[in-house]
Amino acid sequence: MSKFNNNQPISRTRVKICGITRPHDAQVAAKLGVDAIGLVFYKNSPRAVSVKTAQKIIQALPPFVTTVGLFVNAEPTFIHNILAQVPLDILQFHGEESPDDCRRFDKPYIKALRMRQNVDVQAFAQRYSDAKALLLDSYVQGVKGGTGVIFDWQQVPSDLSKPIIIAGGLTPNNVSQVITTLCPYAVDVSGGVESAKGIKNADKMTAFMKGASMVKSITLKKTPSLPDLPDSDGHFGPYGGLFVPETLMQPLEELQKAYQHYLNDSAFLAELNDDLHHFVGRPSALYHATRWSQHLGGAQIYLKREDLNHTGAHKINNTVGQALLAKRMGKTRVIAETGAGQHGVATATVAARFGMECVVYMGSKDIKRQAINVYRMRLLGAEVRAVESGSKTLKDALNEAMRDWVTHVDNTFYIIGTVAGPHPYPLMVRDFQAVIGRETRQQIKVLAGRLPDILIACVGGGSNAIGLFYPFLDDTDITLYGVEAAGDGLETGRHAAPLCTGKPGVLHGNRTYLMSTEEGQILETHSISAGLDYPGVGPEHAWLKDNGRVEYVAVTDDEALDAFHDLTRLEGIMPALESSHALAYCKKIAPTLDKDKIIVINLSGRGDKDIHTVAALEGIKI
Amino acid sequence: MSRLKTCFDQLRAQKRAALIPFITAGDPIQTLTVPLMHGLVEAGADVIELGVPFSDPMADGPVIQRASERALAQGTSLRDVLDMVKNFRLQNQTTPVVLMGYLNPIEIMGYKTFVQAAESVGVDGVLTVDLPPEEATDLSALLRAHAIAPIFLIAPTTTPKRIKHICVQASGYLYYVSLKGVTGSANLDVISVAKKVTEIRQHTDLPIGVGFGIKDVQSAAQVAKVSDAVIVGSALVRLVETEAQDKLLKMIPAFVRALRQGMDAL
Repeated sequence: MSKFNNNQPISRTRVKICGITRPHDAQVAAKLGVDAIGLVFYKNSPRAVSVKTAQKIIQALPPFVTTVGLFVNAEPTFIHNILAQVPLDILQFHGEESPDDCRRFDKPYIKALRMRQNVDVQAFAQRYSDAKALLLDSYVQGVKGGTGVIFDWQQVPSDLSKPIIIAGGLTPNNVSQVITTLCPYAVDVSGGVESAKGIKNADKMTAFMKGASMVKSITLKKTPSLPDLPDSDGHFGPYGGLFVPETLMQPLEELQKAYQHYLNDSAFLAELNDDLHHFVGRPSALYHATRWSQHLGGAQIYLKREDLNHTGAHKINNTVGQALLAKRMGKTRVIAETGAGQHGVATATVAARFGMECVVYMGSKDIKRQAINVYRMRLLGAEVRAVESGSKTLKDALNEAMRDWVTHVDNTFYIIGTVAGPHPYPLMVRDFQAVIGRETRQQIKVLAGRLPDILIACVGGGSNAIGLFYPFLDDTDITLYGVEAAGDGLETGRHAAPLCTGKPGVLHGNRTYLMSTEEGQILETHSISAGLDYPGVGPEHAWLKDNGRVEYVAVTDDEALDAFHDLTRLEGIMPALESSHALAYCKKIAPTLDKDKIIVINLSGRGDKDIHTVAALEGIKI
Repeated sequence: MSRLKTCFDQLRAQKRAALIPFITAGDPIQTLTVPLMHGLVEAGADVIELGVPFSDPMADGPVIQRASERALAQGTSLRDVLDMVKNFRLQNQTTPVVLMGYLNPIEIMGYKTFVQAAESVGVDGVLTVDLPPEEATDLSALLRAHAIAPIFLIAPTTTPKRIKHICVQASGYLYYVSLKGVTGSANLDVISVAKKVTEIRQHTDLPIGVGFGIKDVQSAAQVAKVSDAVIVGSALVRLVETEAQDKLLKMIPAFVRALRQGMDAL
């Protein structure tokens, strides 16, 4: 989530490489797309340059690269003298210069602030009111300039009026994390891209630029005005928690510890970012569905294209994260449950990617409905085990995966596909999926110039919905709709809408809304879409229902099918039947809204896997 | 004094281990459950664990899963199970009965309604498989207030710190799950079981029962040597599944008698 939200969309964080001492390094930096270079005019610095060197460096630069001169408590005459000989674009003051000291050269300037404890960044910004930007640097007593230590990011206020440049301790490994956490105007690196003091390294500069251009992978901070949920035992109010057999308590505790650790581990986050970018293909596009919007005659509809991810759905965001975690925890075998097969395919895919043994549990009924995905999983080297117990669908697959995990806890990591299950799964899966909402936030600002009015997502277990909603929970003027599967109609009882019709109970490790009989037996569900065919829902959704932040509605099989055809014909995008539920609800409300309203729908998956279902319903044999 | 305490005190005085058979209530038909319970007692059962069928028994292996499905096909509800205990108590006021099942049926009935009903029909203990002590505070307090023992599991994966914590929360007896797996799994490792029981013993005076994976006279006898109670479930339930209904009232007690003799022959 953007920390420096000046109501100015920042589509790209700019990069400055400071302490350049050789013309060649400046040229390499420029070729890599660096926005600015810094020249140090402070004789005590190991990166100090002479006037002559500075001239050579600037001469070597192509146009449109800003040159910044760095000074520390320099005499005005010294600075005037440099300015007379070196064509600097902007001055950067690193010492105890007063606002007047900075102003007197008739040049735009940046003021650096060393981040001591309890430093008042807000007051500082007011004092240097005409500075072009503030550079926030790590602070070490007695050392001036870049000190190579990362400061405590929590100190930075979120409503600062000035552009912020983050400096100090940045490296190719942590830059994407800094950008993710703070969304600064620019980052400033020096020591992090050097092979020796003042000597920049081309490979490191390349890696840094790559890191800086990646989008966010994971939420490191909670949304500030909501309570920080879940609590340490995994509760969202009365929901969530840890309702599992004793054998799983220790493995879950171990997982919880590992997750908390790696959530703050920059190497892990960098690896995750890298895979999301290069393997998954993130960021996924945000697409303005102009024809469909026009057809419905109301609000402007944007689609978050999770269907364009590798494997065709949002599920891979989570499986990449969990598989990387499994790898770090030394687990060699992964298991998963699957309904529609999307999560199974996403798990089989990462298992192949990371060289792990993979077993996927799938209800025998779903195996028949989703033959293509079953074959995909087998091609990927996974073993698909048919589950014949109970209703032979997703919930029974989950039971069977739990049984497998209880039996093989030592070497096995259970990759749960949704924001349900015992703590920490609802939290962890949410964090891995929240990349959807974070990207959307940035993309819609660039595309439409502002945040949306309405978000819509389908809810089965609820991972794509929470992924989109979570970064927007704090924006209470944005209306959020979670769309459940009404199947043949809520009144028929043949549906999968626990939030709309169920009541709280305990299943699969957490307390949440469930569809169960008056005796507490879990009901069989029905939906045209196998991915929504689940009698429970993630506990955070139960919480968001009770506190009213999200409105949960339901659409029938027929309505979803209509929307499937609409989008296919009007936009050339074939949506998954799951996502078609969100589209169907949009179809109901968009025409009632003004044309300047903005709706974002999470198009959580593509519909190729569903064409047999659709064809069969229309009596067509393929 | 509670039936569970009396039972275990007597056994301890006799230096015998308890035999605790498990059957699923309503399997294969509801009318057989109470007669089967009496048959178990006559054959030497000291405590009866009565399984409450649930649609999603995630800690159970295929044998008990199918038993649950058979019982549910008969429409067996938690209320029916309580009624069965009530009927059992018409003839037997001494043998402790422990309900074993999953939380959701209790949650949907309401903790208070359930606990009051359980007390009034003569239930002695409640083991809720998917309710670890961390989440059990409310239910445990109610159970204790109504003189019913909340019974907890300890697993091979349970850390020493948790063992200590669980021992403080538990009453009646402790149920040590002998292996990493579901009910009815194979391969019981008696040496590691003995080691773990010794470890648990350092934290509690409660009897320690061992279950999961005990399927014949030999394994029952081995476990009886190292623990206070031998819990046999899937092996019995498998008989219920495979034998003809009219033979069950003979076959089941016969199997339990054999286990009892094997354990006592030590």
